[in-house]
Amino acid sequence: MPHLLLHYHTPITTVHLRSCSFPSPKPTAHIHLRSNPTPGATVKCMANPRRVKMVSKQIRRELSDMLLTDKVLQYAILPEAALGADRYLSSLTTISDVEVSADLQVVKVYVSVFGDERGKEIALAGLKSKAKYVRSELGKRMKLRLTPEIRFIEDESLERGSRVIAILDKIKAEKKTLADEDYEEEAESSVSAQDDTDWESDDPDEDIIYVK
Amino acid sequence: MIKYGKPILKVGSRRNGRSSAQKSARRIQKGVIHVQASFNNTIVTVTDVRGQVISWSSAGTYGFKGTRRGTPFAAQTAARNAIRAVVDQGMQRTEVMIKGPSLGRDTSLRAIRRSGILLSFIRDVTPMPHNGCRPPKKRCV
Repeated sequence: MPHLLLHYHTPITTVHLRSCSFPSPKPTAHIHLRSNPTPGATVKCMANPRRVKMVSKQIRRELSDMLLTDKVLQYAILPEAALGADRYLSSLTTISDVEVSADLQVVKVYVSVFGDERGKEIALAGLKSKAKYVRSELGKRMKLRLTPEIRFIEDESLERGSRVIAILDKIKAEKKTLADEDYEEEAESSVSAQDDTDWESDDPDEDIIYVK
Repeated sequence: MIKYGKPILKVGSRRNGRSSAQKSARRIQKGVIHVQASFNNTIVTVTDVRGQVISWSSAGTYGFKGTRRGTPFAAQTAARNAIRAVVDQGMQRTEVMIKGPSLGRDTSLRAIRRSGILLSFIRDVTPMPHNGCRPPKKRCV
């Protein structure tokens, strides 16, 4: 049935894809195009990549909103909020990235925590303990056929990037002070031997001759 | 109407002239940095303790346009540039008020800490209604 194969290669809306998981009067050869060919196993359908991106963006919005407004989650992240710390925070949790699997069943949430070690551990442990609650809340807020399983992973990339930039800044500052010092020495044109040896070691190929 | 907490300034043209000349040379040691981090942009405003704006910068003012304004790197440059203008005025201690759900708040905090200004407090002031206005309808995906 070559013409039918052609039909399934055009971009299909998700309605058609999802319907292949139900027992349908269509012959099973159509389903085998995109899913596991083992008979009797649950058929998983791959969604459109564009849809996956949209869903991940929406999940990100919902989860960030939940982190900001939901009381239960906030008590899990920051135990001192329960005491009424009135928004003077010791650590700040943000969702940096959300990765959704291609079949929209697993969601990996990368969380970045700003604060000390202990704050990080507490925040991440709190989030992991509330994973099921988060999943049910997400199901209430979003219209999805199957609410995905949520996994929280710590994201260290922001911290690493910050460290790298700090090191680069330090190097730049050191270079600048060195360049300033060299500039001052040049302006003075001092006659001490140490300066001459320094200049020789630094610039052996320079044509500038310093009068002794 | 009596306003409590703020001294009532008598408005006079000479008085105003003097205070504006003083403001440009004022050394403020304590200030507040407001970071508004939305998904598409980050705005960093530096004010004094009372709330009068000293300087501000945002991701859009530094050449980032469109989707790149929302990235954490853009938030970082905005924070750095906002502070650079104020460090010259001698700011040492600041309180940070963060508004909005986005990555920008994390990276701008890190940039503020890296730049050498002492952070005294971090507050989260995202506006939260006690169930007031009806929010916009949910986006269906």
